[in-house]
Amino acid sequence: MADKNTFSRKDFLKITAAAGAALAVSNLPKPVLAAPVKTKPKHRYAMVIDLARCIGCEACTVSCKVEHNVPVASPKEIANRIQWTEVYFKEKGKYPDVKIDLNPRPCMHCENPPCVPVCPVKATYNDKDRGLVLQHHESCKGYGYCIAACPYGARYFNWSEPDYGGRLREQALNPDPHPQVKKRHKGIVEKCTFCVERLDRLEARAEKEGRPISDKELHLVCACVNTCMGRARHFGDLNDPDSTVSKLARSARAFRMQEELGTEPKVIYLRETANKA
Amino acid sequence: MKKLTRKEFLTLAGVTAGAASGVLKLASKAQAAVKENELQQVKSETIFSTCQMCGGQSGIMCRVVDGKLVKIDPNPYNPNNFSNISTDFFANVEKEGTCICPKGNAGIATLYDKDRLQKPLRRTNPKKGRGVDPGWKEISWKEAYAEIVKRLKALRDNGEAHKLLSFSEDSSFMDLQDDFYKLYGTPNFYFHSNLCDVSRKASFKMVIGHDRPLIGAVYTKYILFFGWNPLSATKWSHLPRIITRGIENGAKMVVVDPYFSYTANKAQEWIPIRPGTDGAMALAMAHVIIKNGLQDKVFIEEWTVGFDKFAEYVMDKSPAWAEEITSVPAETIERIAIEFATTKPQVVDVWSGPGHHSNGVQGGRAIALLAALVGGYDRHGTLIIPDKKGGKHIDVTPDDAAKASLKNERFDGKSSYPFAHSSGVYTEVFTRLAEGKGPYKPKIAMVIFQNPMMAVSGTKTVEKGFQNLEFVVVNDIFLSETALMADIVIPGTTYLERYDISSHWVTWPVVALRQPVVKPLFGQPTEYEFITEIARRLGLKEGDGKDIFWTGRMSGKRAEDKTKWYEEYISKELKEGAPKMTLEEMKKLPGAVWVDKKGTRYEKYKSELPAEKVADAIIEGDKIFSKKSDGTKDKLIGIMKGKKAVQGFSTPSGKVEFYNADFAKKKDAWGKPVDPLPVYEPRDWQPDASYPLYLINWKEASHTHTRTQNNSYLMELKPDNPLMVNVDTAKKLGIGKGDSVWVESIHGKVMAKVKLTEGIHPEVVGLQHGFGHWALGSRAKGSGFSDSILRPTRSEPLSGQAMNKQCCVKVYKA
Repeated sequence: MADKNTFSRKDFLKITAAAGAALAVSNLPKPVLAAPVKTKPKHRYAMVIDLARCIGCEACTVSCKVEHNVPVASPKEIANRIQWTEVYFKEKGKYPDVKIDLNPRPCMHCENPPCVPVCPVKATYNDKDRGLVLQHHESCKGYGYCIAACPYGARYFNWSEPDYGGRLREQALNPDPHPQVKKRHKGIVEKCTFCVERLDRLEARAEKEGRPISDKELHLVCACVNTCMGRARHFGDLNDPDSTVSKLARSARAFRMQEELGTEPKVIYLRETANKA
Repeated sequence: MKKLTRKEFLTLAGVTAGAASGVLKLASKAQAAVKENELQQVKSETIFSTCQMCGGQSGIMCRVVDGKLVKIDPNPYNPNNFSNISTDFFANVEKEGTCICPKGNAGIATLYDKDRLQKPLRRTNPKKGRGVDPGWKEISWKEAYAEIVKRLKALRDNGEAHKLLSFSEDSSFMDLQDDFYKLYGTPNFYFHSNLCDVSRKASFKMVIGHDRPLIGAVYTKYILFFGWNPLSATKWSHLPRIITRGIENGAKMVVVDPYFSYTANKAQEWIPIRPGTDGAMALAMAHVIIKNGLQDKVFIEEWTVGFDKFAEYVMDKSPAWAEEITSVPAETIERIAIEFATTKPQVVDVWSGPGHHSNGVQGGRAIALLAALVGGYDRHGTLIIPDKKGGKHIDVTPDDAAKASLKNERFDGKSSYPFAHSSGVYTEVFTRLAEGKGPYKPKIAMVIFQNPMMAVSGTKTVEKGFQNLEFVVVNDIFLSETALMADIVIPGTTYLERYDISSHWVTWPVVALRQPVVKPLFGQPTEYEFITEIARRLGLKEGDGKDIFWTGRMSGKRAEDKTKWYEEYISKELKEGAPKMTLEEMKKLPGAVWVDKKGTRYEKYKSELPAEKVADAIIEGDKIFSKKSDGTKDKLIGIMKGKKAVQGFSTPSGKVEFYNADFAKKKDAWGKPVDPLPVYEPRDWQPDASYPLYLINWKEASHTHTRTQNNSYLMELKPDNPLMVNVDTAKKLGIGKGDSVWVESIHGKVMAKVKLTEGIHPEVVGLQHGFGHWALGSRAKGSGFSDSILRPTRSEPLSGQAMNKQCCVKVYKA
């Protein structure tokens, strides 16, 4: 192993190979495509959200909630409502030059997640092979450091026992026994999982059949992607340079939220085209 | 580590060679099997149906486990959820996938709502009114049917069948209800459309002879909306995609609206306007277009009538004239007019914002004529006249008793409204009931899937109307505000528990099946079974004695089971209608949706009439009429263009009409002759010193009218409806963020919470319609506020459209 003060031929080749790979798949060495050099994940699952297509209908918010048995807040507890993917609304401007910024925000599944190192009981972890940040719900003690650490507001606390609006509704919850779908309980944290339970099944099926997962199949994984009225959302693997997410990540409109914090988020936004008269 | 066999190695090598497409991790077969088991998805059944969280009927794909609905997903096969243009659908649906709105997703919560009615109820307190305890007593179905049938039988036997009024929603089991009320003998079968968009229907009908053209947005290059909010008040879930895609493909969108809606948010330009003045802006635009010679002269010459009179009328309707009325700057009107006329293809549309004022029909007509000016009908990227086909409603013939009572005048005074819709005039019904006016005194009302106490302006009038009826039956899934006025309440079903045929509002024939996803949760009959049971007990038959409520339409045999009987009913409609297949065959289609392979057709007005039709027709001048059985002139079916017989437009002249002299022969409901031209008149309620602000209301993606405020998911998205006030206006009124205010008109006052925004015209305040419940359910009750009492119960005089947005108020701190 080379001493950090010397620069061996091996190191040089490693770096140029990485840079070469990055250049090979992009016009410019955009950070979003180059994985942080230390990690070499098998997959880098990511989401692209086209803000020009998002109309702020919040179908994504509801679809995700139903799919994952996310509890519903009573009118008194609206401030604590849990929305794994939440649309941020912000009105800007002065009459009549008004704009409402719409920002659908799932978990960013950061490659450098600030929420992981702060958990005292390691309930939240980085599934590096796939680029997913997940929870062991049974380990979570509800300390909430992860909520504080996340700069995106992607994490939510169960302030009360999950309410679904009555027994009639409760007996029709998603019966999927997957740990990320099973009912949670008061006192623990939950957040978007990039529909990992659906991804797990897709991978298992592909493995069994001895074939890779296609970009098209990946597109069907996330509930929020499936339901979107504007068709604004895309899901796929950044390790595949031909995937939809890779192609869109190379767009001149691509940006990520709060990149300066170094979290390496994997939700890539496409800004609205500046088309105001 | 297990040693790889040659086979396994080669498999992996093959996979690895395709590394570019994303390779999965190395794992032994044993590991794969274990993982599969751990992640075994619970076995589920997939049932395709159509949504009815609003009237849009989007296709849905339902995941059912052990008879329980656990998820609603988009139906990947239904064009209604993707595009209204066939070429776009066929080319792109597989790679892009279809969608479902937030309400569609939330349908599960309505199905399983703990506040749903489960058993029939009878009122024991004869007094009816808001705030009055009905003294509900649960009764058996036996008792409920017995009472209802007894009352209906007595009415009919007494020759008073016409004194039965019916109110229902326009996309559910309409044909069966139509049959029932016809064989019963009442002409008073009403449905909700006149609370909704009958003014738009009238506007377009006057111009092109068709009452619902659709925007060809995906291929257009200019979109101009007057008061329409399809990106929030969505209805058809394909609208957000086709509009944002049109913009992505280079279209400019301009939204004229007093409120900065979510549609305005996606537009390149938002043009704030005073409510009810859009017609003036349209006329001024026409003025600019004609002055600059930018109209489509060829189209106007060949396919329209009355242009000269129209051009003369708009000669003095300058942008400056319109600025005074609308508050839109003259330069803006001038510029938009030129942009609109010179950017082709272009689409312009108007819906229920401008439509709900006393000048809504002529105003909408002026907007419809903008499309005519630029040849913007039935062409690629313009307003398309849809080829809409559905199931075939088999006509029924009433018996002599029913025939006699059907001769009675409709109670709703529809004939006074020259461009009224078959749905009727709700405001007239309730006004007449309340004031004891009209040709006779109705006695019984059946209200199925309607909530007039919340939905019709002027609640006190509606209340009085219900009080003045002898017997009211309400069929609903909740104890709604209207149910509280009933004598008997019947628990209904959600769309997830029943059948229907959904004929879609896309530009080519698409018909989808609504089918039960779960059995009615409380063993209650579906609404059509409820009606059929009553029909059977009343012994309603056709005039020739045919026992149509007992005989299966397909088998010709007696069908005891009402579900099976109805399955045959709709099977017959599907077989005789466009799909040409039975119910069972429909169920087997992908997505249970029939999609005509012959897609969208353009310029249908140019299409030649089949020779046989022309041979058998009566030709007068350039007009081609079909013949009645007695050989006399029937309907206009086409026009002669030179030697060719073509379809033309369905107007009296067979062409697009800028002017129609015969309109002047008709009088509107207020006794005024209808103007042959789309004259602008200010709406008849203007702001003044005492009530200086316009009050409007609108819909958003989160809720459907007054229907969804008990849905747990939707109430979490949007728990209430603040009064939106312009920041500067608020400052002048001394009102701050979150303040409680009184909103007062000459008719009454309500309290509201204020939300400040830069996104509303300073002379306008507004709210999302639908809140302010005092019943319906535990989540709905007490949430937000309703502005219904601030308006009278009154309709636009040409179409009967309820004027839900015409109101002037003052706002002050509470």
